[in-house]
Formats: sequence, structure tokens, C-alpha cells
Amino acid sequence: MKVDFPSASFFEALNDRMAQEQDRFTRLGYFDTTFGVTVVGPGERRRNYLLNFEVYECMGAREIDNLEGEDPDFVLEADIAQWQDMLRNIQSNGGADTDHGINTLTHFGEGMKVIYDDPERHDKLFRFSESIQEYFDLAADLKIEYAS
Amino acid sequence: MSYLATSHFLDDNEFVDKYLYSMRTGELDLSWMDASTKDVHCTSANERRGLTFRDLDVDGYGFSDLPEVVRENRCYAPRGAEIPDGVPDMQASVNRSSDVWAYNVEGYVEEAMSRQWDATTDIPWAELQEAELPEEIGKAYAQLLTFLTEVEMIATDVPAKWMGQVNADFIEVKNFIALQAMDEARHAEIFRKRALSTGYGLMRASVQNEHNLKFLRDAETFSEASVTLHLQAEGNVLTMFRFSEYISPTDADKRMFRLVMQDEARHVGYGMQHLKWLMKHNPECRETLHAHLEEAENFLFGSIFANEVFEPFVILSGKGLKKENIDKGLVITGMFQMRQTEEYFERLDKCGLTDRRERSRLHEVYEMTKQGLAAQGAI
Repeated sequence: MKVDFPSASFFEALNDRMAQEQDRFTRLGYFDTTFGVTVVGPGERRRNYLLNFEVYECMGAREIDNLEGEDPDFVLEADIAQWQDMLRNIQSNGGADTDHGINTLTHFGEGMKVIYDDPERHDKLFRFSESIQEYFDLAADLKIEYAS
Repeated sequence: MSYLATSHFLDDNEFVDKYLYSMRTGELDLSWMDASTKDVHCTSANERRGLTFRDLDVDGYGFSDLPEVVRENRCYAPRGAEIPDGVPDMQASVNRSSDVWAYNVEGYVEEAMSRQWDATTDIPWAELQEAELPEEIGKAYAQLLTFLTEVEMIATDVPAKWMGQVNADFIEVKNFIALQAMDEARHAEIFRKRALSTGYGLMRASVQNEHNLKFLRDAETFSEASVTLHLQAEGNVLTMFRFSEYISPTDADKRMFRLVMQDEARHVGYGMQHLKWLMKHNPECRETLHAHLEEAENFLFGSIFANEVFEPFVILSGKGLKKENIDKGLVITGMFQMRQTEEYFERLDKCGLTDRRERSRLHEVYEMTKQGLAAQGAI
């Protein structure tokens, strides 16, 4: 079944895969963070998602109008072309390659920005770095319909 | 042998007779069954998480009611146990909560325990054996790994040095620093293994860096050790790991840096939470910390601009030794160093040491780097 990107159903599909791969995530350890994903475009459109992880799983992923009132630990923001490039790379390699990992994309904010107010909560991006990367890598075998 | 028993128990007739009497009659003392402790039955708040230290935070045993100064427990009696007369004074030197406690330390312990990994099996070493690195990249990478191994060895020794000095009532902190020592030992292990698998082995230790490490090790109080190790040094190393992940030559190297990054960020988290606790409960220490950070920043500047530390970053980020590679590498490394400094001050601001930014000479370094990058049109 195809899922649209961006959409809440895309993240729900990742959550289903995460539940199927519990051993992998249990091995990585507690994963306690709530963070936002913002997809900018096409055009001026901004779509925001709030992902809430607890213990070893994603407890919820929902689309919301505005992330500001939700108080996420941090927000990963990129334009739609960047998100699509990352996901296509994950799909062609079975996981992000050296140029498409979340840390690489966000490090200097070239490809993807990390927005945060609180440096402690920003550090959760690094405390759970491997879990976050493996979560996005779960898109490797999804059938994705990209918004144009 | 530095500590002797107050009697030789085999020569103590009363003691031996009591033992023989119990053996002969089956009559036991059992007075310990009436220990003046609380009966409790702790359960998991979240079964998926398991039984955590937070679940044990109950009357008689918990950490929420810890006093600022622990006077009663001078030995290894677990917090909440009855302490009989006559136990020895183990002479822990860290007996004040404000010297060691951190908000959410019990959460950091559980996270540390659940996120342990294995340097021997969690990295696809076979895949790395096939990765051929050009000589200048390989040597620069081996030099970076040499430096990181040095750093991680001191980061293992510092928490281990303090572990036995912390009063047993702070069990959550003792466990956190024990796990930190384990994390850092694993980092020293993985960087050594990676260096010895590049084809170039280890390169050269750095004089300036070694002086910095000596300073870190020899802090006179736990809080000084923590603010420089957890917050300043590990904060910088965390940015360095993210940068190293960014410039890593292979997927397996990236995985290695993501794994060490996770541990490092947790240690920085503890350091921040301890400094916040300290600022709230013992604000008088502010000037002492400023003085300690002043010298720590001096050592840090010497260390990060040491040839053995700075130059590998330039070569790795520029991806070579040609003029255009070096120019590019200088820009990227300069941006990375500015990021390190910004994040250091951000963290101190958050912990309440907001005036460090104005008082620190690291700002001069920041401005020098900024001007250098501006002159090259990079920013």
C-alpha cells in the first residue's frame, strides 16, 4: 500500500514498522523524546508533524497546524525536496548513506535545520541519535507517493 | 595492608563461642529482622520500562528527601538501611547534595543502562576492512582517533577517581558515574580499534592536549571536575563527534560516531543538570567556578589548536592536502569551532552561569575565527 509523503499516514507506517522491529529498538535502549518534523513546500505550504517516542516505541504521530504550542524538544525542518532526497536515498541504499544521515544533514544546517529553544532538550537529538536515524531508515521498503 | 581489624576474631572467645553455640543449638540471633526500616513494595510505574530508580523514590528509601549534608551515613550502608553503632567512617569526601546531585540523575542512570552497546560487535568491522582511505585522509583520521583515544582515557579516569569519594547515600550519582566510566572506556576501546584498523595505526599524542587532560584529572572538587569534564570538555567533544560523523569517510564510521555521540550527550546532560542544581543550592560557588573555567578555557584553547588536533580536522573536512582542500577545510573547521563555542555558552546560560559569556576570553577566539572566516567570504 502506498503512503503519501508528507502525511500522518507516512509516520504511522514507520510506527508500524517500528513495532514490528521491537528487538532492534529495544537493543538501542530507551528512546524518550518528542520532536517535530516540518516539511516546507511545495510553495509556501508548511506541514508539521509531532512525533512522541516513549521507552522503545512511537506513541503517536500527528499532523498539526503549528508546532509552537506543542513544546517539542526540537524540530527538524527542511524543504520538501530535501526530505524527498533523503527518503529516496534511504530507499535506494536500505538506509541513509554518508551524505544523507540526519546528523550530516543538520550539522551546519545546510540541508536541514534543527530548531530549538533549550540546549538541554536539543541534546536529545544526539542522546537518541542512532534510534532517530534507524526510525527514518525504516522508510527503506515503504511505497511512497511524493507530493509534487 | 593499610587498614587492620580492631580484634582478631579467631582469638575472640566470645565471638567464637557464639558461633559454635548457634551451630550446636540452631538458635539464631535474628535481631536484624527487627531493623528499624520501612516495609515497602515498589512496583514499576511503566511495565515496559521495568523497575526504575524513580520507582524506588518512596518514604524511607527515596532521593527526594535527601538532606543537603549527609552526616549520618559514613559507610556503605545502603540508603534506607539501619546503621548499627560501630561501623567505620569510610571518609567519603563528597557528602553534600549540592556538590554532586543533578536534576533527573535517576533518569540518566536508566537511560545509560538501557543504551549500552558493544564496541566489538556493534560496528561492522568487516565492512571497514574493505574501506581503503587515501594516505593523507587515512593518516589524518588515524591522528584524530589517537587524540580521541587520549581524551577518552582521561574521561574514564575522572569519574572513576571520584566514584569512591561520593557518599553512598548518593547511589544514583555513583551509578551514573560508574556507567560513565564504562561508556568512556568503551570509547577509548573503539577509537583504538578503529585506529588500528585504518592501516596507519596510532599517530602522535599531543603535548598541549595532555596538559589539558592533566588539568581535567586534577580538579580539586567534584563540581569543578564535573563542570570542566561533563559540561566544557564533553560538550566540546560532543560537537566534535557530530562533526566527525559529518566528515566520516564510511557508513560504518558514521555509525561509530553516532553511538559515541549518544553517550557523550548523556554525560553533558548530567553535567548541565548538576550545574543547575549547584547554582540553585550553593550559589556561593559561582566565583570559584568562574576561576576554574578561566583556566579550563585556557587549556582548551591550547588543546584544540594543537597541530595534532587542529590539522587532522582541516584535512578531513577539506578532504585532502591540496591548496583548495586546505582552504575548504579551514573554513569548515572554523565554522565547527564557532559552533563549539556557541554551544558551550548556550549551555552555561541555561545553567545560570550567564555572565561567563562576558568574562570568558574564549570570546576573543570566537571573534578571531569569525573575522578569519569573514575575510575568506565564508560568512
